[in-house]
Amino acid sequence: MAQQHDNLEVEDFDVLDAKIPTKTMTLNMGPSHPATHGTVRFNIELDGENIVKLDPELGFLHRGFEKSCENVSWTQCLPYTDRLNYVSALCNNFGFLSAVEKLAQIEIPERAKYIRTIGAEIHRICDHLTGTGATAMELGGFSPFLYAIEARDLLWDRIAELTGARLTTSFGRIGGVDRDLPEGWIQKVKDSLDRVAVLRDEISTLLTHNRIFLDRMRHTGRITGEDAVNFGFTGPCLRAAGVDYDVRKAHPYWVYDRMDFQVPLGSEGDNFDRYYMRIEEMKQSDAIIRQCFEQMEPGPIIIDDWRYTLPPKPQVYSTIEGVIGHFKVIMEGIKIPKGECYAYTESPNGELGWYLVSDGSGRPYKVHCRAPGIPLMSGLEHMVRGAILPDLVPTFDTINMIGGEVEQ
Amino acid sequence: MSVEKKPVTMVNVTVDGMPTSVPAGTNLVEAAKTVGVDIPHYCYHAGLSIAANCRMCLVETSNSPPGKLVPGCQIPVAEGQSITTNSPKVKEQQRAVEEFLLLHHPVDCAICDQAGECRLQDYFQEYDYRPSRFETPKWMSRKRVDLGPTIVLDQERCINCTRCIRFMDEVAKDPVLGMFGRGTRQVIDVFPGKVLDNNYSGNIVDICPVGALLNKDNRFRARAYFLTATPSICTGCSRGCNTFVDHFQGVPYRYRPRENMEVNEHWMCDHGRSSYHQLYDGRLLEAEVGQQQVEAGEGLRAAAAALKPLAGSLAVVVSPVLGLEDALAVMLLAKEGLQASEVYLSGRADGEADFYLLREDRSPNRKGVELAAQAFGLELRRFDQLTKARPKGVLLAGVDVPVEASGFADWLSGVEQVVALAANRDPVSAAAKIALPLATHAEGEGTFVNFDGRAQRYLRAYPASGSSRAGWQWATALLAELGYAYAYASAGEVFADLSKRLPEGALGDFDWKKTPRAVVKGVTPLPGGTVDGRPPGWRELIPLRTPSNNDGSSAA
Repeated sequence: MAQQHDNLEVEDFDVLDAKIPTKTMTLNMGPSHPATHGTVRFNIELDGENIVKLDPELGFLHRGFEKSCENVSWTQCLPYTDRLNYVSALCNNFGFLSAVEKLAQIEIPERAKYIRTIGAEIHRICDHLTGTGATAMELGGFSPFLYAIEARDLLWDRIAELTGARLTTSFGRIGGVDRDLPEGWIQKVKDSLDRVAVLRDEISTLLTHNRIFLDRMRHTGRITGEDAVNFGFTGPCLRAAGVDYDVRKAHPYWVYDRMDFQVPLGSEGDNFDRYYMRIEEMKQSDAIIRQCFEQMEPGPIIIDDWRYTLPPKPQVYSTIEGVIGHFKVIMEGIKIPKGECYAYTESPNGELGWYLVSDGSGRPYKVHCRAPGIPLMSGLEHMVRGAILPDLVPTFDTINMIGGEVEQ
Repeated sequence: MSVEKKPVTMVNVTVDGMPTSVPAGTNLVEAAKTVGVDIPHYCYHAGLSIAANCRMCLVETSNSPPGKLVPGCQIPVAEGQSITTNSPKVKEQQRAVEEFLLLHHPVDCAICDQAGECRLQDYFQEYDYRPSRFETPKWMSRKRVDLGPTIVLDQERCINCTRCIRFMDEVAKDPVLGMFGRGTRQVIDVFPGKVLDNNYSGNIVDICPVGALLNKDNRFRARAYFLTATPSICTGCSRGCNTFVDHFQGVPYRYRPRENMEVNEHWMCDHGRSSYHQLYDGRLLEAEVGQQQVEAGEGLRAAAAALKPLAGSLAVVVSPVLGLEDALAVMLLAKEGLQASEVYLSGRADGEADFYLLREDRSPNRKGVELAAQAFGLELRRFDQLTKARPKGVLLAGVDVPVEASGFADWLSGVEQVVALAANRDPVSAAAKIALPLATHAEGEGTFVNFDGRAQRYLRAYPASGSSRAGWQWATALLAELGYAYAYASAGEVFADLSKRLPEGALGDFDWKKTPRAVVKGVTPLPGGTVDGRPPGWRELIPLRTPSNNDGSSAA
């Protein structure tokens, strides 16, 4: 947001200049615009080329998922969470389940914690690859996007091997995870991560010192740490502004307290910092996954409590206890004790929080999702006001709004 | 049923730390209910004597012998007593009882009609929730014991709570059931040479806490957890037993008694219980003019055209199977639209009354129709006077007749114009020149007035099938065709407007808007309670199944 873009004050007019009566122009951008990823419409008021006012219009992906959750059992909410931030479904799955488990006061088995950490970190890399690649693409660099997607698809193949789906994983169950790691999967993930690291470095090489990229990214879309906190920013966008807050460090969950990893911090709070934050976080996630593989030991992957989990199939088919347990969980849903809770995890875009209320029945009484994208969207106008219109594109890219997430 | 006016002594107790005050003599289970604590139980039933044999309701009390648990169903409250229902000792007892009861229970849930409303399932998930430690094979027993014309017993599923034995002895006064054998081989059966053919035998299926006793009528027909229970009134006789009509996708599957201590207590008779078949079987679903199916509007216009010239010389026949609102609207039609001064009261033929609930009068709303006629100053004539009267035309509101149907149909064929509002196909509706399909009481809402003048509401369980409409709808539509503007949008509006004409205080303190009980979707009482009883993800009444077979064979 350089000085030359600022509105000229009336006093600056030279007396010889003719006064041109101008008025602001309203520009509609989106909802399906080639330079944005995410379905959103911007109502932009422009003074010349400078943004005077920006009014983001959300709701194109609104599905009423919070309300829908009230009509299904706790387990059946899981597929809805896939569709929040659909690039990192596992982070949402596990975040939601963690909240339900907090409400039910369940402590999940060690191995399940490791599997959740691995899954979440792989999807964090996927999410950052997508965000970074899309940013480059929308600024005209198509190659980094292709590299990013190649890397992402490698990881999605691993996710498909683990969960059975590339995108909508619905993986994890209340009390643990759905199934254990497949045979030989660990080595495949390590090999994939090696390749992803090469591609990630390639992207970084292409972008980080690229003059065109730097011109578009540096000192644009700036926000101070204080403002970011006031807007409720979390995740890479907050840390890019120099505020050291990462849920994984501040309030460790699963096995993050046993992991040796750094939280990268920015200083400028501009688009470049937000981009670079993601490159650095991918490296940390890589390290976390490899540490998990070293540390994890064989063991149960889900708790053994028939109030919350399905009995093993041999028991269901041959014992009355098993068939009753199965019937009650399937037909009436898992009964989560009465109460309410707020639980939160670090999703790729920031703090993904869940406020849940249970009335003791098989279905949620209320589900609210604190999507990290909403505060980011609300801070967008602050970040681009006064800037030229082209600055909106990288700013919107680096906050990485996900339509499925902010429009519940 | 008589109310004794004795001074009630209240006793103060605490249940899990919550103080409450209950009448002296109340047992611990009922006392705990007052503060919302459910003490689990199998053998205890409020309408039967106490057996205390299931041991599920054992709780700790402050005045029990040290270290002993006491049965909550049997022990009356004592002043200052503190009851503990959630101590580790009680929990372990509940778990142990549940484990014991399931030791020899067959793996039947998938084929059991009780699944979804089974106490074994509910309490297992709440108090046991762990695998069996039992490794030897289960005892086998007789799976299909034919107890009589209505009831089948599965001895393997039975937990020997003896509710059925006590019911047959104490309520039905027909002690044909007994307990045979000892230990694991102990079974329920009928005494040698006896048959369970009592008119109240259906109740033992309701009170059986597990799936041991099954009604042949709806065995293997419906999944209990898919059924929605709507409060209704039985139309089998003039008692007006409070019921639930359990239905799914627009098809009724059974009646169950709904507790009303002033009318039917906890029970209903088999005669009434089987009457739900009329809600579905052999229905007339489309309007017919001269036995040709026509659109409802065309049928209506034909009926109005046929009735108009006969105004003043027409016999209006009202069936007491119609609700009060229907009867009021039909009386309005008779009085204003058709200038009648008298109406004939039809209804089902009387049967034999029994010692308990079943009444001689097999129509649910005779009192209501009498009141409706009174409201409009119409003289109410007996049915046998109709055949002597030789009217030019007959309007039958409901085709239930107390005489032999085919004989009456023959008489009708000699009448110039016959318009019938008919719910079911029978010789009478077939004899009508114009037949308009009538909705059943399960398809609409309204009021029945029972034999002692008690007005009771029934609710709409599912939408009307085919083109059928409620009696009040046909009556107001006919009035509109005849040029009278009575625009009622609901049975409630009919009642609100026309009940003003009823004799003062005819319905006592009856309040139409006070519904008997909110509709409880799924099964009632709720086994464990999803939010409103529906299984998760289930959408009510979609897709709606319309009865297509009107040949008398039942899908229900």
